[in-house]
Amino acid sequence: MFTTESVFKDLRLQVNEGEVLSILGASGSGKTTLLKVIAGLEAEDEGDIRWKGKRMNKMMPQDREIIYLYQEPLLFPHLNVFENVAFGLRLRKVQEKEINRRVEHVLTSLGIESHARKSPEQLSGGQKQRVAFGRALIIQPKMILLDEPFGALDHDTRRQMQQLLRQILENEKMTAIFVTHDIKEAIQMGNRIGKMERGNLHIYPSLKAFVEDPGSGAQEEGRFWKNLL
Amino acid sequence: MKRSISISIIGFIAFFPILLLAFLSLSEQWMFPNILPDRLASGPWKLLLTGKSELLYSLLLSVGISLLVAVVVTIFSFFASRQIAYSPIGKKILWLTYFPYVFAPVLLGAILQYYFIRYGMSGKISGVLLGQFFITFPYGIIFFISFWNARIRSFEDLVSTLGGNPFQKYKQVLFPIARPAISLVFFQTFLISWFDYGLTMLIGIGQVQTLPIKVFQYVNSANMNHAAAASLLLILPPVILLWINKKYVLTRWQM
Repeated sequence: MFTTESVFKDLRLQVNEGEVLSILGASGSGKTTLLKVIAGLEAEDEGDIRWKGKRMNKMMPQDREIIYLYQEPLLFPHLNVFENVAFGLRLRKVQEKEINRRVEHVLTSLGIESHARKSPEQLSGGQKQRVAFGRALIIQPKMILLDEPFGALDHDTRRQMQQLLRQILENEKMTAIFVTHDIKEAIQMGNRIGKMERGNLHIYPSLKAFVEDPGSGAQEEGRFWKNLL
Repeated sequence: MKRSISISIIGFIAFFPILLLAFLSLSEQWMFPNILPDRLASGPWKLLLTGKSELLYSLLLSVGISLLVAVVVTIFSFFASRQIAYSPIGKKILWLTYFPYVFAPVLLGAILQYYFIRYGMSGKISGVLLGQFFITFPYGIIFFISFWNARIRSFEDLVSTLGGNPFQKYKQVLFPIARPAISLVFFQTFLISWFDYGLTMLIGIGQVQTLPIKVFQYVNSANMNHAAAASLLLILPPVILLWINKKYVLTRWQM
């Protein structure tokens, strides 16, 4: 709750391991607050957050191994690309040799190995987003929470990043919640889709169920493109 | 050609007062209308270097007080401003930080003088330190408050979710990002303390002989030789600090 206003209530959410759950919702529907509560960055008034049955409510964010990624890449301006990606490993006091090996591997898989020594302001929006993903993935978190990560990108870069992220999440069998207000993006990124409206979350059992629901917005979008053509 | 002449003129105008002070400090006798001193002597500088001069004590005292004030204020105001910025009533608290600047520092010192006398801090270095802290601490908060914006808050959250504890958050992210702001507050509070005369005179009641106090004492006693030497010493540390800031702090940040 924010002061006396309830952001969401009686919300049930289950994400299976290795699954990407897309959550669709308009601005102000409570998506960001939901992710922040899961990450431990906002405190819930009541309820349980569990990982494999273990209650996490009292755990500090740094102990949950759940990474929250903002729409903005938020690269550390005083560190170059290599050090940004290595950041989480240095927090964990990983050995230098191991850091070099893992960072090189991640940079190569993201296609940004040639930018390793550049500072963040020298990168494009898409490159910055790749570095942000690399920084999150390298520490192999339990879950990644992505809050409209492609919102600030142009159409082509957005498409490339969607494909790249989808591929990485599948290869790493990463569990993720992907929040967006774009229906196409939600369908492309998620194994399942949920829709958040005024603090209520409805999760569809399958993509087919989502598309078939007239209230989901998918059919309306389909009709729009059909009429245009 | 024109540009180099202009630069030379501006450089001469900028450095002329310092050159004049240097000549004054080395002159034993300089009668009007002579352009140069009648006799040169290194009186005050010799005494300074051999440790027989009060100037050395005043110099070291001023350096000590200013450094202590700058360090304490920078540290306290950095953390205090964070609490204020993230507090729901932060804006109301921030209004209070402007309160010391409603009055002139000397007037504030006069108002607080009763308490300094009451608690035995009048005429003591501790009293001068506390008085200067009262003036510079709110300044540090006002300066740092703009640093704690939504973006910095997001960085803090990001470091937490990446696994960083509060110590790592400050050491590896916040302090490096805040470096320009921290060095600016440090230098500014150092300079405010370094050049302070009124408050030091009022609270120190002439017992705490900092360099600005000494300059005025020499001027009042028409000891131009020593006054010039003290004035040169007065501008020396700020020049050194500016050089350090430019060479090491700003350059490292730009890298």
